[in-house]
Amino acid sequence: MKVEVVTRILEANERIAAENRRLFDKATVYVINLMSGPGAGKTSLLERTIKELNGKIKTAVIEGDIAGTSDAERIGSLGVPVIQINTGGACHLDANMINEVLESLPLKETDLLFVENIGNLVCPAEFNIGEDMKAMVLSITEGDDKPLKYPLMFQESSALILNKIDLLPYTNASVEKIRKDAMSLNPSLKIFEVSCKTGKGIAEWAEWLTEKVKS
Amino acid sequence: MHEASIALSVLEIAVDSCRKAGYNRIESIRLKIGRASGIMIDALLFAFNAVKADTIAAEASVIIDEIAVSGLCSSCDKDFVTEEKYVLCCPECSSASFNIKTGRELEIIDMEVF
Repeated sequence: MKVEVVTRILEANERIAAENRRLFDKATVYVINLMSGPGAGKTSLLERTIKELNGKIKTAVIEGDIAGTSDAERIGSLGVPVIQINTGGACHLDANMINEVLESLPLKETDLLFVENIGNLVCPAEFNIGEDMKAMVLSITEGDDKPLKYPLMFQESSALILNKIDLLPYTNASVEKIRKDAMSLNPSLKIFEVSCKTGKGIAEWAEWLTEKVKS
Repeated sequence: MHEASIALSVLEIAVDSCRKAGYNRIESIRLKIGRASGIMIDALLFAFNAVKADTIAAEASVIIDEIAVSGLCSSCDKDFVTEEKYVLCCPECSSASFNIKTGRELEIIDMEVF
Protein backbone atom coordinates (compact mmCIF):
# COMPACT_ATOMS: atom_id res chain seq x y z
CA MET A 1 0.00 0.00 0.00
CA LYS A 2 1.44 3.36 -1.02
CA VAL A 3 0.96 6.33 1.30
CA GLU A 4 1.54 9.84 -0.08
CA VAL A 5 3.43 11.94 2.44
CA VAL A 6 4.94 14.96 0.64
CA THR A 7 6.27 16.64 3.76
CA ARG A 8 9.35 18.78 4.14
CA ILE A 9 11.68 16.89 6.45
CA LEU A 10 12.52 20.06 8.37
CA GLU A 11 8.88 21.04 8.63
CA ALA A 12 8.87 20.63 12.42
CA ASN A 13 11.77 23.08 12.67
CA GLU A 14 10.09 25.51 10.25
CA ARG A 15 6.89 25.38 12.28
CA ILE A 16 8.66 26.24 15.54
CA ALA A 17 10.72 28.91 13.75
CA ALA A 18 7.44 30.50 12.63
CA GLU A 19 6.19 30.39 16.22
CA ASN A 20 9.42 32.11 17.40
CA ARG A 21 8.91 34.66 14.62
CA ARG A 22 5.44 35.46 15.98
CA LEU A 23 6.82 35.94 19.50
CA PHE A 24 9.57 38.22 18.21
CA ASP A 25 7.12 40.28 16.16
CA LYS A 26 4.73 40.60 19.08
CA ALA A 27 7.52 41.98 21.27
CA THR A 28 9.00 43.98 18.32
CA VAL A 29 12.43 42.43 18.70
CA TYR A 30 14.87 42.32 15.79
CA VAL A 31 16.74 39.01 15.82
CA ILE A 32 20.14 38.25 14.35
CA ASN A 33 21.43 34.72 13.97
CA LEU A 34 25.20 35.17 14.23
CA MET A 35 27.28 32.37 12.77
CA SER A 36 30.96 31.57 12.12
CA GLY A 37 33.59 28.89 12.49
CA PRO A 38 35.05 28.42 15.99
CA GLY A 39 37.30 31.25 17.11
CA ALA A 40 36.39 33.76 14.38
CA GLY A 41 35.34 36.26 17.05
CA LYS A 42 31.56 36.08 17.43
CA THR A 43 31.63 36.78 21.16
CA SER A 44 34.26 39.52 20.78
CA LEU A 45 32.14 41.13 18.08
CA LEU A 46 29.11 40.99 20.38
CA GLU A 47 31.06 42.58 23.24
CA ARG A 48 32.18 45.43 20.98
CA THR A 49 28.78 45.85 19.35
CA ILE A 50 26.84 45.84 22.61
CA LYS A 51 29.16 48.52 24.05
CA GLU A 52 28.79 50.58 20.86
CA LEU A 53 24.99 50.32 20.96
CA ASN A 54 24.78 50.97 24.71
CA GLY A 55 22.23 53.66 25.53
CA LYS A 56 20.82 53.62 21.99
CA ILE A 57 19.49 50.10 21.52
CA LYS A 58 18.52 47.57 24.16
CA THR A 59 20.21 44.27 23.42
CA ALA A 60 19.97 40.71 24.72
CA VAL A 61 21.92 37.60 23.81
CA ILE A 62 21.35 33.87 23.48
CA GLU A 63 24.68 32.06 23.62
CA GLY A 64 24.92 28.68 21.94
CA ASP A 65 27.83 26.41 22.77
CA ILE A 66 28.36 22.69 22.88
CA ALA A 67 29.53 23.02 26.49
CA GLY A 68 30.49 25.65 29.03
CA THR A 69 29.27 29.09 30.08
CA SER A 70 32.34 31.27 29.48
CA ASP A 71 30.72 33.21 26.59
CA ALA A 72 27.58 33.93 28.61
CA GLU A 73 29.76 35.16 31.49
CA ARG A 74 31.60 37.54 29.15
CA ILE A 75 28.31 38.96 27.81
CA GLY A 76 26.69 38.97 31.25
CA SER A 77 29.48 41.16 32.61
CA LEU A 78 28.30 43.89 30.20
CA GLY A 79 25.00 44.01 32.05
CA VAL A 80 22.76 42.76 29.26
CA PRO A 81 20.35 39.83 29.60
CA VAL A 82 21.97 36.60 28.42
CA ILE A 83 20.92 32.97 28.28
CA GLN A 84 23.33 30.10 27.66
CA ILE A 85 22.21 27.10 25.66
CA ASN A 86 24.47 24.04 25.84
CA THR A 87 23.67 21.65 23.03
CA GLY A 88 25.68 18.83 24.58
CA GLY A 89 27.19 17.91 21.22
CA ALA A 90 24.78 19.13 18.56
CA CYS A 91 26.53 21.18 15.91
CA HIS A 92 23.89 23.90 15.47
CA LEU A 93 21.02 25.64 17.24
CA ASP A 94 17.54 24.78 16.04
CA ALA A 95 14.23 26.58 16.42
CA ASN A 96 13.12 24.41 19.33
CA MET A 97 16.21 25.15 21.43
CA ILE A 98 15.52 28.86 20.97
CA ASN A 99 11.82 28.45 21.69
CA GLU A 100 12.57 26.77 25.01
CA VAL A 101 14.58 29.70 26.40
CA LEU A 102 12.50 32.60 25.09
CA GLU A 103 10.34 32.91 28.18
CA SER A 104 13.48 33.48 30.26
CA LEU A 105 14.36 36.61 28.25
CA PRO A 106 12.79 40.06 28.72
CA LEU A 107 11.72 40.27 25.08
CA LYS A 108 9.43 43.23 25.63
CA GLU A 109 12.35 45.30 26.94
CA THR A 110 14.63 44.19 24.10
CA ASP A 111 15.14 45.90 20.72
CA LEU A 112 17.80 43.61 19.34
CA LEU A 113 18.40 39.95 20.20
CA PHE A 114 21.64 38.33 19.10
CA VAL A 115 21.69 34.57 18.85
CA GLU A 116 25.29 33.40 18.85
CA ASN A 117 25.20 30.05 17.08
CA ILE A 118 27.57 27.11 17.58
CA GLY A 119 31.01 27.70 16.05
CA ASN A 120 30.63 25.78 12.80
CA LEU A 121 30.72 27.02 9.20
CA VAL A 122 28.34 24.35 7.93
CA CYS A 123 25.22 23.25 9.80
CA PRO A 124 23.96 26.45 11.47
CA ALA A 125 23.23 27.91 8.02
CA GLU A 126 20.64 25.21 7.37
CA PHE A 127 18.33 25.71 10.35
CA ASN A 128 16.06 28.73 10.61
CA ILE A 129 15.37 29.82 14.16
CA GLY A 130 12.86 32.57 13.34
CA GLU A 131 15.49 35.28 12.89
CA ASP A 132 15.16 38.50 10.89
CA MET A 133 18.66 38.16 9.53
CA LYS A 134 21.60 35.78 9.42
CA ALA A 135 25.02 37.36 9.74
CA MET A 136 28.42 35.68 9.72
CA VAL A 137 31.89 36.41 10.97
CA LEU A 138 34.96 35.27 9.07
CA SER A 139 38.33 36.08 10.55
CA ILE A 140 41.05 37.00 8.10
CA THR A 141 43.35 34.36 9.61
CA GLU A 142 41.00 31.60 8.47
CA GLY A 143 42.13 32.24 4.90
CA ASP A 144 40.58 33.68 1.77
CA ASP A 145 39.44 30.32 0.39
CA LYS A 146 36.50 29.99 2.79
CA PRO A 147 33.66 31.47 0.69
CA LEU A 148 34.09 28.87 -2.03
CA LYS A 149 34.69 26.04 0.45
CA TYR A 150 31.66 26.80 2.64
CA PRO A 151 29.29 28.49 0.19
CA LEU A 152 25.97 27.99 1.94
CA MET A 153 26.70 30.21 4.92
CA PHE A 154 27.88 33.02 2.63
CA GLN A 155 24.72 32.61 0.55
CA GLU A 156 22.39 32.64 3.55
CA SER A 157 23.96 35.60 5.34
CA SER A 158 22.92 39.21 4.85
CA ALA A 159 26.12 40.54 6.38
CA LEU A 160 29.71 39.29 6.45
CA ILE A 161 31.93 40.69 9.18
CA LEU A 162 35.59 40.24 8.27
CA ASN A 163 37.22 40.21 11.69
CA LYS A 164 40.86 40.41 12.79
CA ILE A 165 41.54 42.76 9.88
CA ASP A 166 44.45 44.17 11.94
CA LEU A 167 46.25 40.85 11.35
CA LEU A 168 46.01 41.12 7.56
CA PRO A 169 49.72 42.03 7.09
CA TYR A 170 50.71 38.78 8.81
CA THR A 171 48.65 36.52 6.56
CA ASN A 172 48.59 35.59 2.89
CA ALA A 173 44.85 36.28 2.72
CA SER A 174 43.44 38.63 0.11
CA VAL A 175 40.47 40.73 1.17
CA GLU A 176 39.74 41.31 -2.51
CA LYS A 177 39.46 37.56 -3.15
CA ILE A 178 37.13 37.12 -0.18
CA ARG A 179 34.98 40.02 -1.39
CA LYS A 180 34.89 38.77 -4.97
CA ASP A 181 34.06 35.15 -4.09
CA ALA A 182 31.52 36.06 -1.40
CA MET A 183 29.78 38.54 -3.69
CA SER A 184 29.62 35.98 -6.50
CA LEU A 185 27.80 33.65 -4.10
CA ASN A 186 25.58 36.40 -2.74
CA PRO A 187 25.47 39.68 -4.69
CA SER A 188 23.47 41.48 -1.96
CA LEU A 189 25.92 40.60 0.85
CA LYS A 190 27.00 43.57 2.99
CA ILE A 191 30.66 43.27 3.99
CA PHE A 192 32.30 44.97 6.99
CA GLU A 193 36.03 44.93 7.69
CA VAL A 194 36.50 45.10 11.45
CA SER A 195 38.98 44.44 14.21
CA CYS A 196 37.48 43.57 17.56
CA LYS A 197 40.99 44.05 18.97
CA THR A 198 41.41 47.69 17.86
CA GLY A 199 37.75 48.61 17.35
CA LYS A 200 38.22 49.44 13.67
CA GLY A 201 35.01 49.20 11.64
CA ILE A 202 32.76 48.56 14.66
CA ALA A 203 31.02 51.94 14.46
CA GLU A 204 30.07 51.42 10.81
CA TRP A 205 28.69 47.93 11.53
CA ALA A 206 26.77 49.17 14.58
CA GLU A 207 25.30 52.04 12.58
CA TRP A 208 24.11 49.66 9.86
CA LEU A 209 22.59 47.41 12.53
CA THR A 210 20.82 50.36 14.13
CA GLU A 211 19.20 51.22 10.81
CA LYS A 212 18.03 47.62 10.42
CA VAL A 213 16.56 47.54 13.91
CA LYS A 214 14.77 50.85 13.52
CA SER A 215 13.41 50.20 10.03
CA MET B 1 26.63 15.58 11.62
CA HIS B 2 23.08 16.87 11.67
CA GLU B 3 22.15 14.01 9.33
CA ALA B 4 21.23 12.23 12.58
CA SER B 5 18.58 14.80 13.44
CA ILE B 6 17.33 14.73 9.83
CA ALA B 7 17.08 10.92 10.06
CA LEU B 8 15.08 11.27 13.28
CA SER B 9 12.69 13.72 11.59
CA VAL B 10 12.24 11.34 8.66
CA LEU B 11 11.46 8.53 11.08
CA GLU B 12 8.99 10.62 13.09
CA ILE B 13 7.11 11.85 10.02
CA ALA B 14 7.05 8.37 8.45
CA VAL B 15 5.85 6.57 11.58
CA ASP B 16 3.20 9.21 12.14
CA SER B 17 1.95 9.10 8.53
CA CYS B 18 1.90 5.28 8.57
CA ARG B 19 -0.19 5.14 11.76
CA LYS B 20 -2.54 7.84 10.49
CA ALA B 21 -3.13 5.80 7.34
CA GLY B 22 -4.02 2.85 9.58
CA TYR B 23 -0.99 0.62 8.92
CA ASN B 24 1.64 -0.87 11.22
CA ARG B 25 4.75 -1.54 9.16
CA ILE B 26 6.81 0.58 6.83
CA GLU B 27 8.48 -1.21 3.95
CA SER B 28 10.14 1.69 2.18
CA ILE B 29 10.32 5.46 2.33
CA ARG B 30 11.02 7.62 -0.72
CA LEU B 31 12.87 10.90 -0.17
CA LYS B 32 13.60 13.77 -2.51
CA ILE B 33 17.00 15.29 -1.76
CA GLY B 34 18.48 18.21 -3.66
CA ARG B 35 22.19 18.09 -4.41
CA ALA B 36 22.60 21.50 -2.73
CA SER B 37 20.58 20.58 0.36
CA GLY B 38 23.77 20.05 2.33
CA ILE B 39 22.84 16.48 3.13
CA MET B 40 25.38 13.69 2.74
CA ILE B 41 23.25 10.80 1.56
CA ASP B 42 25.56 8.09 2.92
CA ALA B 43 25.56 9.72 6.35
CA LEU B 44 21.77 10.08 6.27
CA LEU B 45 21.29 6.40 5.37
CA PHE B 46 23.75 5.36 8.07
CA ALA B 47 21.93 7.46 10.66
CA PHE B 48 18.51 6.24 9.54
CA ASN B 49 19.59 2.62 9.91
CA ALA B 50 20.66 3.41 13.46
CA VAL B 51 17.47 5.20 14.53
CA LYS B 52 14.95 2.88 12.86
CA ALA B 53 15.69 -0.11 15.16
CA ASP B 54 12.78 -1.19 17.35
CA THR B 55 10.27 0.92 15.47
CA ILE B 56 7.62 0.04 12.86
CA ALA B 57 10.24 1.15 10.31
CA ALA B 58 12.85 -1.35 11.52
CA GLU B 59 12.76 -3.20 8.18
CA ALA B 60 12.27 -0.10 6.06
CA SER B 61 14.54 0.78 3.17
CA VAL B 62 15.12 4.34 2.06
CA ILE B 63 14.91 5.22 -1.62
CA ILE B 64 16.43 8.54 -2.58
CA ASP B 65 15.57 10.65 -5.63
CA GLU B 66 18.49 13.02 -6.00
CA ILE B 67 17.53 16.34 -7.54
CA ALA B 68 20.07 18.25 -9.62
CA VAL B 69 20.63 21.96 -9.16
CA SER B 70 18.83 23.99 -11.82
CA GLY B 71 18.03 27.62 -12.33
CA LEU B 72 17.05 30.41 -14.65
CA CYS B 73 19.56 33.06 -15.69
CA SER B 74 18.29 36.63 -15.43
CA SER B 75 20.78 37.87 -18.02
CA CYS B 76 20.50 35.39 -20.91
CA ASP B 77 17.08 34.12 -19.87
CA LYS B 78 18.14 30.48 -20.32
CA ASP B 79 17.24 27.58 -18.04
CA PHE B 80 20.19 25.56 -16.86
CA VAL B 81 20.81 22.28 -15.06
CA THR B 82 24.20 21.57 -13.57
CA GLU B 83 26.07 18.69 -11.98
CA GLU B 84 27.63 21.19 -9.54
CA LYS B 85 26.29 21.56 -6.03
CA TYR B 86 26.72 25.31 -6.01
CA VAL B 87 26.26 27.64 -8.93
CA LEU B 88 28.55 30.67 -8.97
CA CYS B 89 27.58 31.94 -12.38
CA CYS B 90 25.28 31.04 -15.26
CA PRO B 91 26.83 28.07 -17.12
CA GLU B 92 25.68 29.62 -20.43
CA CYS B 93 26.72 33.25 -20.18
CA SER B 94 28.72 33.44 -16.91
CA SER B 95 26.42 36.08 -15.44
CA ALA B 96 26.24 36.16 -11.64
CA SER B 97 22.58 37.09 -11.79
CA PHE B 98 20.35 33.99 -11.71
CA ASN B 99 17.67 32.30 -9.66
CA ILE B 100 18.04 28.76 -8.41
CA LYS B 101 14.91 26.68 -9.04
CA THR B 102 15.76 23.21 -7.76
CA GLY B 103 18.46 21.54 -5.70
CA ARG B 104 17.59 22.50 -2.11
CA GLU B 105 14.81 19.89 -1.67
CA LEU B 106 14.59 17.86 1.50
CA GLU B 107 11.25 16.07 1.47
CA ILE B 108 9.53 12.78 2.11
CA ILE B 109 7.54 11.95 -1.02
CA ASP B 110 5.70 8.73 -0.19
CA MET B 111 6.18 5.32 1.35
CA GLU B 112 5.11 1.70 1.05
CA VAL B 113 3.33 0.42 4.13
CA PHE B 114 1.47 -2.74 5.06
